[in-house]
Amino acid sequence: MSDDLKNILSNLNKEIEQEKLLDYLNKKLSAPEAHEVEKQMAEDPFMNDAVEGLENFNNKKDLSLYVEQLNDNLKKHLDKKKKRKEKRRLREHPWLYFTIILLLILVIISFVLVKKYLSAG
Amino acid sequence: MEFKVCLHLVNTNLYLLRGSKHDHISDSELLQHFYADHNNEWLGILLQRYTMLLLGVSMKYLKNEEEAKDAVQQVFLKAINELHKYKVEYFKSWIYMIAKNHCLMKLRDKGRFSTEINERLMATPDESEEKNNYIEKDKTLTNLAGALQQLNKEQQLCVTLFYLEKKSYLEIAGQTGFTIMQVKSHIQNGKRNLKIAMESR
Repeated sequence: MSDDLKNILSNLNKEIEQEKLLDYLNKKLSAPEAHEVEKQMAEDPFMNDAVEGLENFNNKKDLSLYVEQLNDNLKKHLDKKKKRKEKRRLREHPWLYFTIILLLILVIISFVLVKKYLSAG
Repeated sequence: MEFKVCLHLVNTNLYLLRGSKHDHISDSELLQHFYADHNNEWLGILLQRYTMLLLGVSMKYLKNEEEAKDAVQQVFLKAINELHKYKVEYFKSWIYMIAKNHCLMKLRDKGRFSTEINERLMATPDESEEKNNYIEKDKTLTNLAGALQQLNKEQQLCVTLFYLEKKSYLEIAGQTGFTIMQVKSHIQNGKRNLKIAMESR
């Protein structure tokens, strides 16, 4: 996604980007940019509480890593749940899969027999 | 072994790409997709948008990095369970309340429930608050000159510098001699008093 498109989308969404928040916490933003973040904080109690909490982390450079780990764990949890659901589906209809496998075996046997017949002829 | 590492990297990047591919979809649209097909992947995309904010809120209340990370995972699980049971309209304020309630319960269990945090914080999510926030955003402080005069000196100064002169907390603190916490407090109280003054007109 190009930077221009990203800017348009983030303005449409009106939510602060994670990178901007990290820059604010690491005091990398200019005064006007910091003001924009603070304005959003003043209007958004969720964001205000979050920033107050994030400021208490000892090493702010680790925040991205923590977020990545948490997102990764979430993904693993959802994947596990999905696999469990699919396994349950398989257990509920074993006859369906058995029939498909049987049909495949029959097709292979027929193919082999026809080939043998044709080569013998 | 190298193949497995490459496969893991490809899968991770695909997942990340899938996430950024949905940046243009709003929270409510993601929820609608989820309610239509009950595919948890939609929830995964939605929850990941709030990981950092949830981490911050958890840290604010629990004041411990490991406990905060643990709390975020618990909030994710709770959110996934609850979203399967009932419909949520304003996801952001809902997840914020779930996180706050979870942290407060943890503090209560540990006997670290401060008297400053009262039971009102345990209220159920107020979905109308988000609507009111959008309405309030439309009012501009430039039309509030009369109401501004009614504030005390500190609140008037901080609100003027923040909203009208668009200064940052750090700049205001430097200019006025207040601490950043005092600046935030004066702005918050000033805003509330302005709202009261405007409503009484």
